[in-house]
Amino acid sequence: MSEYLCHDFKTPRTDTSRRLPSSFRAIPIIFYVALVGSAYVMTMDYFNYKKALTQKTEAEERRKLSESQRDASKAEKAELESEAFKAEKVAEWMEGARNIQPIAVKIARAVQAETRITQVALERSEQVPANLALTIHLNGSKVSSELSAIENALGQLLYRSYSPQQTKNGDVVEYHSTLVRQSE
Amino acid sequence: MNPKQLACVLLLLVIGGMTYTAQIIHNKVTTTRTEAQEAEDSATTAEQERETAEIQTTVLKTDTEDVRRFLRGWLPAIERVQTQQEAEQTIELSLRERGINLVRSRKTELKASTNNKIIPKSVLTTLTIEEEYAKVLNWLGDIERRLPTARMKVVQITGGSTGRQLKMDVSFETPIFNLAAADAEKPKAK
Repeated sequence: MSEYLCHDFKTPRTDTSRRLPSSFRAIPIIFYVALVGSAYVMTMDYFNYKKALTQKTEAEERRKLSESQRDASKAEKAELESEAFKAEKVAEWMEGARNIQPIAVKIARAVQAETRITQVALERSEQVPANLALTIHLNGSKVSSELSAIENALGQLLYRSYSPQQTKNGDVVEYHSTLVRQSE
Repeated sequence: MNPKQLACVLLLLVIGGMTYTAQIIHNKVTTTRTEAQEAEDSATTAEQERETAEIQTTVLKTDTEDVRRFLRGWLPAIERVQTQQEAEQTIELSLRERGINLVRSRKTELKASTNNKIIPKSVLTTLTIEEEYAKVLNWLGDIERRLPTARMKVVQITGGSTGRQLKMDVSFETPIFNLAAADAEKPKAK
């Protein structure tokens, strides 16, 4: 290339437009900074978004599982409560449905041969069905000791005579008491 | 506006667009992260509720074990008598098998209760029998064994027509349980 041509290339050219103010020169720098910054932020956001989505999905699955297990536990609890309630009602009834035959047998066996029982009546209380009103009519020479023996015999069945009363009607002694069952 | 200025304006617009887009995306990600955190919190709450429910169930299971075993033990007897006919048949069978021939009177009636939903009906039986001492008391034991849920209301034993015999007036109530109604009557759990 000739020196003339090289020189010709280096000839200063006049600007076709006015130069930008010096502060405007920061704009390309800001552009690159914004480009890099946005790229960084968006990249990090992308990973965070993916992570958050995974975390959310897992948490929702855990929640659903826990809720189903909780509901199952609650259902089981309700079932247990229902069963316990039924049991309590049945027990309430059964408390007033204890067998009477052993009482009658005990009374009959507690009395000596020379004493005669003319009547035994057992009546269940309406208010407290576990309690029994006992009435015995006896005649004989040792009625007091026989009644004591009857009370002892009933004690073996965990019944206690409450407010016993005796009235004599001719040869017959009428004995009244309320049998209250003792807790074991 | 010369081309340099135009280029600057364009660059500024591009910068604004990029920043705005990044901000939108960032906000979206923040919202998603908040949702994830909320889901995490609700999962933790659900786990705690599950643990609480499991503990309560286990405690209740232990506390009510005896009473539930009691119910399981009584269920066959409860299910055995569900009608008046079944109660009457049981009494009839017991009288026959125990050799009670002299039944002076016998009355059976069905009693309905509106207050008690678990025992809405019961069979009231009133009976007067006359037999030997051993037979009478054995029959009483037998009927109490065959109808273990029956509640003896009155038992009156007096002398019979002969010296060897006893007369027994007995009145008892055989409940007809409706345990399914217990769920309706059960107080609401707190």
